[in-house]
Amino acid sequence: MTSTTAASLPIGTAEGLLETEKNAGESENTYILRPVFQQRFRPSVVKDCIHAVLKEELANAEYSPEEMPQLTKRLSETVKDKLKEMGFDRYKMVVQVVIGEQRGEGVFMAARCFWDADTDNYIHDVFMNDSLFCVIAAFGCFYY
Amino acid sequence: MTSENTSGPHTSGNPKGDKKHREKKLRKESEVDFPEDKEQKHRDPDRDTKHRERPAERDGHASRENPRGDRDRESQGKGKRTPETGTDKGTKRIPRAGREKSHSRGKDRDKDRERRARREEPRQTAQHNLLGWQLPEPAERRARAGSKARAEEKERRDEGSEWGDEERERRYRERKLQYGDSQGNPVQYWLYKEGGERRHKRQKEADRERRHREKSSVREKRDKHSREKSNSFSDKEGEDRHREKRHREGARLDEERHPGDTGRKERSSREELTKRESKDSEHRNRGASSRRDPTSSQEGSCALWYAESLVRNNGKDKDSRKKEIEKEDTDIENAGTDEYTPCLEDDFEDYEDDFEVCDGDDDVSNELEPKEKIEELPLARKKEIQEIQEAINAENERIGELSCKLSQKRGLTEGEREAETDANSSPSRAPVCGIFMDFATASRRQKSRTQALKQKARSTKLLRLIDLDFSLTFSLLDLPPVNEYDMYIRNFGRKNTKQAYVQYNEDNVDRDTQTEEVETKGVWSQHPAEGTAVSGGSGSGDPCDTGAPKVNTPRLSRFLRAACQVIAVLLEEDRMAAEPSWSPAAQDSALRISDSASQLNTSLPFLQNRKVSCLCASQVQRQTVVSVHGPPGAASDPALDGRHVLCVWDIWQPSGPQKVLLCESEVTCCCFSPFKAFLLFAGTVHGSVLVWDLREDSRIHHYVKLGDCFWTFRTATFSTDGLLTSVNHRGPVQAVEPISTSVYKKQSFVLSPFSTQEEMSGLSFHVASLEESGVLNVWVVVELPKADLAGSLSDLGLIPGGRIKLVHSATIQLSDSLSHRRYEFWGAAQTLSVKFLPSDPGHFIVGTDTGLISHGTRQDLRVSPKLYKPQQCGMRPVRVHVMDFSPFGEPIFLAGCSDGSIRLHQLTSERPLLQWDGGTDGRAITGLRWSLTRPAVFLAQDDTSCIYIWDLLESDLGPVAKQLISPDKLVAMTIVGEAEKASGGFLALVLARASGSVDVQFLKRVWAAPAGDELGRLRLLLRGAL
Repeated sequence: MTSTTAASLPIGTAEGLLETEKNAGESENTYILRPVFQQRFRPSVVKDCIHAVLKEELANAEYSPEEMPQLTKRLSETVKDKLKEMGFDRYKMVVQVVIGEQRGEGVFMAARCFWDADTDNYIHDVFMNDSLFCVIAAFGCFYY
Repeated sequence: MTSENTSGPHTSGNPKGDKKHREKKLRKESEVDFPEDKEQKHRDPDRDTKHRERPAERDGHASRENPRGDRDRESQGKGKRTPETGTDKGTKRIPRAGREKSHSRGKDRDKDRERRARREEPRQTAQHNLLGWQLPEPAERRARAGSKARAEEKERRDEGSEWGDEERERRYRERKLQYGDSQGNPVQYWLYKEGGERRHKRQKEADRERRHREKSSVREKRDKHSREKSNSFSDKEGEDRHREKRHREGARLDEERHPGDTGRKERSSREELTKRESKDSEHRNRGASSRRDPTSSQEGSCALWYAESLVRNNGKDKDSRKKEIEKEDTDIENAGTDEYTPCLEDDFEDYEDDFEVCDGDDDVSNELEPKEKIEELPLARKKEIQEIQEAINAENERIGELSCKLSQKRGLTEGEREAETDANSSPSRAPVCGIFMDFATASRRQKSRTQALKQKARSTKLLRLIDLDFSLTFSLLDLPPVNEYDMYIRNFGRKNTKQAYVQYNEDNVDRDTQTEEVETKGVWSQHPAEGTAVSGGSGSGDPCDTGAPKVNTPRLSRFLRAACQVIAVLLEEDRMAAEPSWSPAAQDSALRISDSASQLNTSLPFLQNRKVSCLCASQVQRQTVVSVHGPPGAASDPALDGRHVLCVWDIWQPSGPQKVLLCESEVTCCCFSPFKAFLLFAGTVHGSVLVWDLREDSRIHHYVKLGDCFWTFRTATFSTDGLLTSVNHRGPVQAVEPISTSVYKKQSFVLSPFSTQEEMSGLSFHVASLEESGVLNVWVVVELPKADLAGSLSDLGLIPGGRIKLVHSATIQLSDSLSHRRYEFWGAAQTLSVKFLPSDPGHFIVGTDTGLISHGTRQDLRVSPKLYKPQQCGMRPVRVHVMDFSPFGEPIFLAGCSDGSIRLHQLTSERPLLQWDGGTDGRAITGLRWSLTRPAVFLAQDDTSCIYIWDLLESDLGPVAKQLISPDKLVAMTIVGEAEKASGGFLALVLARASGSVDVQFLKRVWAAPAGDELGRLRLLLRGAL
C-alpha cells in the first residue's frame, strides 16, 4: 500500500566540500557552530512551503500504484528545491515523502533524530483525501 | 616465460575454454569470411578504414553483425577502441582539462589497463600454447618476429636512455626485480606505459624539442627504417638503432596521441600508409608460409603474425627462445588449429591499431607508420599536420601544467598506492595477467580515504564543541484503523446519495406560532335595560359551548347533592305557597290545634293500599321522618308484594319520600342513627335487626319503574336474620334504640345528611334492641373501610357493596332483674319499651307490662331506684308502652300506661312526681311525646285517635287541649320540631292515618313557641310537686 521514497538531498554538496577542504587546508578552527539567525531552519516557514506544495500537487490526486513512485519523487524534489530557495545557508536538507492509500488500515509513522537540537529541526505536514494520505517530512541539519 | 607459466595455469584455463568455444563458433564464419579476409588483406589500403567502420556499424546494428561472432566482437572491441581512445586522449581531454585532470587521467589509465589486460589474454594463451608445442620454426618468420621484438625493446631502451629519468628508471628496475625479468613483456609494457605517461606529463617541453628533432630526423628515420627492414634478421644489430628510433618515435607518438578530430583523419590516412607498408612484409610472410605449408596458407600467415607479436612481447631477453616460439607457431599451424587463426589474425591486425591509439605513449608498432606517413605525405600536408600538432601540443601543455600539481601531490603516495593497487587488483585481475595495477580506483580510494580522514578529524574537533542528542520521537502520522462499518460506509454508504440544496420561492416565509388562537366573540350589555334589549352579540349561536368544561366530578356531585335538596325544598315550598290549597282535603285537614297542615304524598304507586304501622322521627335531623308501611291490601307489583316499605321523608318535601326502603318482614320499630340520620335501624317481628345505610349508591339496589319514574328500593345493608342465632332475638323486637352519649352536644343542623363531616363524626355508637322476653341486645355499629361489591364471606348479612354491619356486643337479661322480686307469681314480666338516658347512655329504663319501669345499666351497676312505680301500690296489669325523656336535659321522663294514666317520673325517685290517671278518660295511651320546643309541653295520643296537649305551666291537672282525629283514624303519631333559634322554630305532628295517608300538622304558636324561662318554671313546678 505504501510507496515510500526517501529523497536524501544534500544541498550544495560540491560547494560544501570545497569549502571544507579550504577550511581544513588553511586554518583549523573556523567552524560556524550556529547558523545566522535569519538563516535558521524555521519550521513554520517550511511548513507553509510544504503545505503549499501539498495543496498544489495533491489537490485532485487519486491513488494509483503506478504513478505514486514518480509522484513521491517529484514532490520531494519540489520541496527540496523550494527549501533551497529559502536560503537556509549551510543546511543539509532531507525531504521524505510517503504516500499511502487510504484503505482503512492504521498507519503509524514516527521519526527519531540524533542531532543537535539547537540548530537542527524538522517539520512535517500531512495531506489526506479520500483515496490517499501523504506525509512530507523535512529535516534540516546544520553543517557546521 | 616461466613466470608467465606460473600464473598461466589458473589464468589460462578459462580463457582457453572460452577461446575454444569461440573457435568452434567461429569456424564456419571464418571459412565464410576467408575470402573476404583475404581480400581485405590484399586490399590493404582499404582494410584499415573498413575496420574502423566496422565498430560504427556495430554500434548501430549489433544484431546484423552478430553472426560474425567473437571475431567481430574482438575486432570491434579493438576497432572501437580506436576512435574511443582517440576521443579520450584527444578531444575529450581538451574540454575536460579544466576540471578533471587527475581523475580523467586515472580513468584513462584504468581503461588502458583493462584494455591491455584483455589484449594480453589471447596473447598469453597463445604463448602458453607455444610453450607447450615447441616446434622448429622457419628462420624467416623468426627473424620477422625478432625484428618486431627488437622494435619494442628498442622503444624501451630509447626511453630509458633518452629521458634518463632516474626515478622512472629506478621504478622500472624495481618492478623488474619485483616481478622478475623473466616475467617478460606485460610488466615491462606496463612500466613503459606508465613511464610514458609520466613522461608525457612531466616533459611537455621535451615533447616540443623532440618534435623539432623529429622533423629533422624524418629522413634519417626513413633510412633507418629501410635499414631495419633489411637487417631484420640480425636482432642484436638493430637493437641500438631501434632504440634510437624508438626514442624519436615515442616523442612523435606523444604528439600523435593528442590529435583532435581533425587530426584523426590524417592519422587514419597515415595509418593506411603504414598498413600498406607493413603489408609488404605480411605478404611476404604469407607467401612464405603458403609456400611452406600449402594446406594452411592462411593460418600460416596468421600464426606468423601471432608469433611475431609474441616475440615482440617477449622482447630481446627471450631471444633465445624465439626459435621455440616459432616452432610452436608452426606447430599450431600443423595441428590445424586454423579455427582461431582468423581471430588471431584479426586480433593482430587490430592490435596495431590499438597500440597506436591506446598506448600512444610507448606503442612501438605505431612508431614506424607515422614516420613513413610523413615521408610519403606531400609537403603541404605535412605542414598542416604540423600546425595541428602544434595546436594540440599547446593544449597539452596547458593541461600538463594543471595536472602537474596534482600528479606531484599524488606522487608522494604513489608507491604506496601502487602496492595497494597490486594487492587489490590481484584477486580480480590476476586471472588475466597476474599483475594489474588499478590506479584509478586506487587514486579514488586514496582520495576518499583522505577525505574521510579529513572528515573524521573535522568531526572529532566539532564534536568537542557541540552536543548531539536524541530528539523526541516525532509522530509524523498516526492514522488509526477504521472499523469495518465505517469503511463500508465510506466506500459504499454514499454511493447513491447526493446532497443538494435547493431554495425555491424565496419570499415564501412561513411563520408559525405555538399558542392557540384566541377565540373572540363580541357581546354587549347595558345595565339600565333599554326596553327588552339588555344584551346582545354578534354571534347568534354560542360556538364555545362545545368545549366541555373540566369538572371535578366528586366535588360537583357533592355540590349537586346538597344543592338539589335545597332547590327541591325551595320548589316544594314555592308550590305550596302558590297553591295554598294544594289539596282541599289537606287544607281541611288542618286541625284546630295546628296552624297549618301538609300531607305527605302517600299516593305514590308503591304506597297505595299500604297502612302505616309506625312513624319515627330523627332526633338530630328534625325534619326527617320515616314511615313504615305494611303490606298492601291488594297486589300491585309483584316485586313489592308481601314486603314492607319504609319511606324516609323530609317534611319539607312532602311530594315524595327521600328514600324508599324494602323489608321482607314486618317492621315493629325503627330508629335513626344518633348523630347523622344516614343509618336507619329497624327491628322486625322475626327478631332480626336491620340496618339501612342511606348513603349507599342507588346502583347497588334494584329499582323499579313505577309510573313515569324510577324508584330505587333499597334492601337492608345488614341484617341479623339467621345470624348469631345463639344471641339473636327469638321474639319480636319491641324497641330499637341508639345509644349515644353526646346526642345533645353534637347537635348540628346540616341540611344534607351526607355532608362530608358526617363521615368523620364516627360511627362509634351502639344500638340496643329489646325483645318481649326481656333480652336486651347491644350491637356495635361497624363501618367497613372499603366496600366489596363481590360480597363478603365472613359477613353473611352484609349486602354486596355495603359498608355497615352490626356486631353483637352484649346481651342484657332484663328478666332476671325483674323476676327476683316478689312478683314472681305474675310470671315473667314482658318488656315493652326501652329508653336510654340521654345524659348517660349507660342507664336505661325499661317499660314492662306490670306497670313498673325497670331501671338498669349496661354495666350491671347498682342503681337506685331499681324500679319506678306508679303511685298506686300493688301489682296491676298495666302495660307501660311509651316512655319519653325530656329533651331539654331534665332528669325526668314520661310514661304512658295502658290504663290511661300518665306518669312523670324523676330519675332519682321511685315514685312519680306527677300522675294523671283520668286525663284520657281511661283510654290507653299509645303515644306520648315531649314537645321539642317547649320543655313544659307534651302531647299524648290515645287509642281512640285523640290527641291531648298538656301544658304543665298552664295546668298541671289535665291536658290543655284535646283533638279528635276523625273520621280517618290516627294510627301513629310522632313529633318533629325545631327549637327556636334565629328565625323561629316549629313544632309539627306527623300523623299516620288509618287510610295510609300521612299528614303533618304544624301546631299553633302557643304550643310551639316557648315562653320565657320556661325551663326554670318547670323545675320550680316539679320541685313544688315533690
